[in-house]
Amino acid sequence: MTSAAQSGREREIRLLAELSEAVGEVFASVEGLRSAALEIARRVRPSGRQLRRSDLLELRGDVAQALARHAGFVAGAGVVLAPDALADAQLWIEWHWLNARSVPERLVVDLDPDSAEFYDYTTTEWYREPERTGEPHIAGPYVDYICTHEYTFTLSAPLIDDGRFLGIAGADVLASEVERLAVPSLARLPTVAAITSGNGRVISSNSPRLMPGMVLKPGRAQAAMRPVVTADDLPWRSRLPWVLLVQTA
Amino acid sequence: MVARRLAEAIRLGLLLDGERLPTESRLAAQLGVSIVTARDALATLRGMGLVETKRGRSGGSFVRSPGGSHSARLHAPLLRLSLHDVRDMGDHRAAIAGAAAMLAADRALEEDIGGLREHLERLRAAEGLTQRRRADARLHIEIAAAAQSPRLTREEISLWSQIGDLLWLPLSRAQREVIAAVIAEHGELIDAIADEDGERARDLASRHVNDETERLVNYRLRLGES
Repeated sequence: MTSAAQSGREREIRLLAELSEAVGEVFASVEGLRSAALEIARRVRPSGRQLRRSDLLELRGDVAQALARHAGFVAGAGVVLAPDALADAQLWIEWHWLNARSVPERLVVDLDPDSAEFYDYTTTEWYREPERTGEPHIAGPYVDYICTHEYTFTLSAPLIDDGRFLGIAGADVLASEVERLAVPSLARLPTVAAITSGNGRVISSNSPRLMPGMVLKPGRAQAAMRPVVTADDLPWRSRLPWVLLVQTA
Repeated sequence: MVARRLAEAIRLGLLLDGERLPTESRLAAQLGVSIVTARDALATLRGMGLVETKRGRSGGSFVRSPGGSHSARLHAPLLRLSLHDVRDMGDHRAAIAGAAAMLAADRALEEDIGGLREHLERLRAAEGLTQRRRADARLHIEIAAAAQSPRLTREEISLWSQIGDLLWLPLSRAQREVIAAVIAEHGELIDAIADEDGERARDLASRHVNDETERLVNYRLRLGES
């Protein structure tokens, strides 16, 4: 390998590493929320009574801190409870977002199954995947039409207390914020390049032919792209299954 | 958004039947929005039949909670719409749903298609007007989300909140086979998206909306006669 090619390779690795690190930091806050929520569950358990909505109120401080720590990057955060995890609500969301005046506001959604506006979150990827695997997960980019109303990533981690799935802790990151980080370094690469999610959806690129939301599928003209850096190439264990691809010469 | 929040509050019973709503200016202050926004929200709710405004000294805006027969309750808002309104909303929905379906055919992943099929199953399993309307709305909103477009998704949500309650009204006494056929149209639409056939998906979506509009116009005409 020539030294020019080597430095090109290093630059590609650094690009995905820096992006994964910036977004991955949000996982630390999600883990913090998870610990705080599980701490409440552990404290309540010996009393033999079930968790109640009011038990979750003390999480609001942790959520506000997480929102402040990632101000301008994380659009919302909180915990989302599994059906019947609480004694006094079948479904419950303790989720806060920064409103237009940057003040944390509780997300209010309709959780009455008989209502026309009922929001059943148990079918969403960010809820289901941590439930299924027991591991943290990043969903997206996807159109979040409940909370941010924008193109969004949701990072989530399962709340498992005494072997029981109680729900998830999570945070939303706007896709536009991730793009803001990615585009300058992508634009400096000498070839057409794109970063995709693990399932092949374009997160960001330096070409008008590869716009966010597109899917790189084999057999398509835009798919003459080959993966050059994956999460496995990064110097630490990344939870973001993202891939950097460049155009095949 | 404000109208949706208030409509939710009424449906959930947080605002009771006959309860007087605050004045426009006070409502605006309470919700942290402009007076114009609050006024628009009240107008939308009046259109949905959820709020009644009386003039005069004992006047004001009052909550009309969804009591009585659900379909009978929907007749008032439908009668307030002109046929031209119904057609125009149908055109708007056909444009949005058609574009969303075409883009979804290009951009949906296998897991998105799987999600759409689950929502279709929920629509099949739904009973009655409210459940069907909810499952139907969710499916169409998910198609717009599968198109990866927040704007088209917002348009679908807004159109469904304006006219969604009325869309299943003409089928409230329809035979099971008729309802099954309408639901099957969604299955064909999802198949076209799964086949990555954007043009077929767009045509199926706009034809589906046009048929729906036609049913609503017919229903509205018969209602006008009685």
